[in-house]
Amino acid sequence: MRDTRRARLVIGVLLAAALILITVDHRAANGTLLAPVRDVASSVFGRVEGATATVTGPITGFFKTISNAPGAERAITALRKENAQLKSDLDAQRLNRDRVMKLDRMLGLAGLGRYRIVPAQVVARRASPGFEDAVEIDIGTGDGVRTDMTVLSGEGLVGRVVHAGPSTSTVVLLTDPGLAAGARMEGGNELGVVNGLGEAGGNDNLIKFRMLDSSSPVQVGRRIVSFGSQGSAPYVPGVPIGVIERVDTTPGELTRTAYARPFADFSSIDVVGVVTEAPKRDPRDSVLPPVPKPPASRQAKPAERTPALRPPVAGPAETSQAETRTSDQQPAVAGPDVNTGQSEPPRSGHEPRGETRPAATPAPERAAPGQPGQEAVDQRRQDRGA
Amino acid sequence: MVRNLVAAALIVAALVLQVGLVNRVSPRIGPDLVLLVVLSLAALRGGAVPGAVIGFCGGLAYDLLPPSDHALGQWALVMCVLGYLAGRAGGQLPLLVVALCAVVAPGLASGIGALLGDPGVTWSVLRSAWPKVAVCNLLLAPVVLWVVRAVQPRRRARGSEFVTGYGRGTA
Repeated sequence: MRDTRRARLVIGVLLAAALILITVDHRAANGTLLAPVRDVASSVFGRVEGATATVTGPITGFFKTISNAPGAERAITALRKENAQLKSDLDAQRLNRDRVMKLDRMLGLAGLGRYRIVPAQVVARRASPGFEDAVEIDIGTGDGVRTDMTVLSGEGLVGRVVHAGPSTSTVVLLTDPGLAAGARMEGGNELGVVNGLGEAGGNDNLIKFRMLDSSSPVQVGRRIVSFGSQGSAPYVPGVPIGVIERVDTTPGELTRTAYARPFADFSSIDVVGVVTEAPKRDPRDSVLPPVPKPPASRQAKPAERTPALRPPVAGPAETSQAETRTSDQQPAVAGPDVNTGQSEPPRSGHEPRGETRPAATPAPERAAPGQPGQEAVDQRRQDRGA
Repeated sequence: MVRNLVAAALIVAALVLQVGLVNRVSPRIGPDLVLLVVLSLAALRGGAVPGAVIGFCGGLAYDLLPPSDHALGQWALVMCVLGYLAGRAGGQLPLLVVALCAVVAPGLASGIGALLGDPGVTWSVLRSAWPKVAVCNLLLAPVVLWVVRAVQPRRRARGSEFVTGYGRGTA
């Protein structure tokens, strides 16, 4: 190409323009002067660039994929592996959280009753109908477990150790028909024997509670706790056992039979604790869980509750009542001693107390008075009728 | 030798699965894997004596399996008898024999428990539990039989003399 005059002029002008632009843009510190120009350019070009990218994207992506294929394959495998790892970690954490919660509850219960426990995990279970219901736990004599120790879970009594090996132990569950434990009705001195029912307990794993005194009243909804054995073996006192669900009324029988739903969930036992040291003194009813809140629709009737709120009677009177207890006495003393509830663990309670207790106990953890009392009253009527 | 080892491995696997999985997942109702495996082994082995030996060993292992609270030998007795029957009759129709034995077994075991004065064995328990266990066993019997047959080494190669040798050894 030949340099004509015109060409030189054009080049000169263009160079000058470029220099001017440089100067102006450089001088105006933050590009205020040329900002609109830039904006226009960027909006136009940006759009075009975007459009181009959408068209060419797959093509470049394709070539990139091909060129990166070996590495990508490896990356995908690695990511998949990592993903699986993370997923399993997450599952494990979820499981752990469940176990931690159970452990926490159990430690809470053990603390309430001042039991010293060794936590354990159930590793195997054998449940042959009619024969036995036993689990294997992952601690043994090395951890301080001995034969005939009480086993509990966060909810209540689970069973007892029948065989302690070096690193595992066999625990017979409360639902085993061969197991019998001394039990006491909450807030009273009525004693009885709890027996497993095994297969006959149905899906709720009901257990049988035989009252030694057939004249003592039993109501649906009352709780039973372990009475404790001599020397606290095999059963320590005060462990919650269950809630009475059904009462068999057979007049003329020496013992009275009730069926209770255990607190512990026997269909899925996971974390348990072996009581290695019994509490110094009987925790009585203090380990029982709070009374469940009644549904709002069946709230308390004030009239039913007022008689129960009379002031407590003194200790000696209570004792004499307990000694001369008959079923006839119960309406007469139905109310008076309710308030002695939690504050006096070693009192000698008797059944009228416990009978009205859910209706009137002022203790804070027994939230929700009312509805259980209503039930108790109804049940009492049934009892007397029968 | 290999067959015996395989049989032992199968029984051990069934034991562990039974207490570690089946009974933990559903304690109320579930098949008896150990029983089915032992019966299948006895029926497929063919022959009364090997069947009885397999049954006795399997039953004894079942009795010894850790969470246990019954008299040792209860299952050994039951499975010895059933293994004998299965081995004797299982030549032609192993599935039928295994199914029959699997239905009978829970009742037999409970009967022995009742003889020993087990407090849990009553008529009502038997009435409610036996059908459930029997149905579970029946449902699982073909599967277990198929697995046992698939896992067992072929005996075509050295055939009958191996069996008789085994029989002579254990008799």
